[in-house]
Amino acid sequence: MPTERAFPGPAIPLARWADRQIKAMAATHVSAAISVLDGATLMGERSAGYRINGRISAGLGGSHLMPTRDGGWFALTLIRDVDRELLPALFGNADIEALDWDTIAAAVLQHDCADLVATGRALGLPVASADEKPASPPVEMMLRGEWRERPAGHRPLVIDMSAIWAGPLAGHLLWQAGMTVVKVESRSRPDLIRRDDPATFERINQGKASLLVDFASDTEKAALIALIRRADVVIESSRPRALRHLGIDAELLVREVPGLVWLSVTGHGASGDAANWVGIGNDCGVAGGLSRAMADVSGEIGYVGDAIADPLTGIIAAREGLDAYRSGLAQRIGLSMSAVTAMALAEERAHDRAAIDAELRAWGTATGCPFPPQVRPRVLQAQVRPVGADTTRYLGEFARC
Amino acid sequence: MKPGTRLKSAACDTEVMVIRSADGQIECGGSPMGETKPAEPAPLAADFSAGTLMGKRYVDSDGKYELLCVKPGKGSLGVDGAALVVKDAKPLPASD
Repeated sequence: MPTERAFPGPAIPLARWADRQIKAMAATHVSAAISVLDGATLMGERSAGYRINGRISAGLGGSHLMPTRDGGWFALTLIRDVDRELLPALFGNADIEALDWDTIAAAVLQHDCADLVATGRALGLPVASADEKPASPPVEMMLRGEWRERPAGHRPLVIDMSAIWAGPLAGHLLWQAGMTVVKVESRSRPDLIRRDDPATFERINQGKASLLVDFASDTEKAALIALIRRADVVIESSRPRALRHLGIDAELLVREVPGLVWLSVTGHGASGDAANWVGIGNDCGVAGGLSRAMADVSGEIGYVGDAIADPLTGIIAAREGLDAYRSGLAQRIGLSMSAVTAMALAEERAHDRAAIDAELRAWGTATGCPFPPQVRPRVLQAQVRPVGADTTRYLGEFARC
Repeated sequence: MKPGTRLKSAACDTEVMVIRSADGQIECGGSPMGETKPAEPAPLAADFSAGTLMGKRYVDSDGKYELLCVKPGKGSLGVDGAALVVKDAKPLPASD
């Protein structure tokens, strides 16, 4: 039985690394609003009140880490009903009515970890192995375009088409840095976090204009592309085929629009095979090696932090985006959540091996304890626009151009 | 056909993963699909040449068959001569 431990809970591992990224970003870009942020808050404000939950992800518990036949550990995140229909294919068994986690764990134990990961990824399921090496670099310069000179005092426009946490956090940090940020959602499928975690939604989307686009409408898609052509930064988190289906050609736009910075925030990379894989914050933390690192020092394998790959990647995406914007050069940058996690761990080990090992050890032995109670969620500083409230203002205007 | 089985088209580059199936013959480009590719490619039937799309799920009208395209090609999918159609899938984010 998990037991309650004394206040305070252990610190979230890698929060100091996140803090250093934020301070460096604030210094380079001279942003007072960013300089007052801290890593522990950005990583932990969502999970204030959560409990450390071992092999089940904290909060909603959508991700489970399970042992495999060959002694590996397999992470599976099930937060979409459509994914459950794929479980018979994942396990090669039509009879599996895999609706409860006990049944799923029993099936996982009959397979080798690498096979489950390969099949799961082909099926488009968010899966990971605790012992994989990230397939992509954390930050990949995919394409460079032309340079744009901007007038003094230009207020940059950011089109944020990303969803849930990592991409929207990057957009939030760019808003903190003084940019105008326009959040674009699909009419048929708004950002899931609106429903699943409204408080987090509000914190990371406050101050952004809100657009709803019908991606079945050629007129609305054309208006959105016209808006992108006037923008300075784009943030998206779609798989390549999803972007194509939306009629958006990132490479073409980066080639044709001087100075356009395009951030592709993905689970496992934006090019090659890995661009088709799905990754969510908790399983990407596993794929980045964090669960294995914790097991190595604590003897207990489990999830570290809360969807930890999300805030780490959101912060790095914002930093890369600000640097790229300042350079004036059009570019597409791919970010991999699993590889960013692995990079953060490697850099933190190089920075202070004893400290990160102590934190991982504390986290691994704290199942049942609350998340750090000293982390307080930030209060809102700006209005949260009603969904779609700014569609006409941005798309109506440009549609007539 | 066991769910999770990967099938290759004899007539084009298409590869699918079986999500659900019954006893009928799964085809692509008008020819039976198999776990290995034949040495000689089969001709592409005109009625089954609309192409497959990466990541799309294809179903029959009775809901007995469901195939996930894991590699696209020029042929289109069918079971016992009846064409499969794209399941109304929602676009999914690559990451959160």
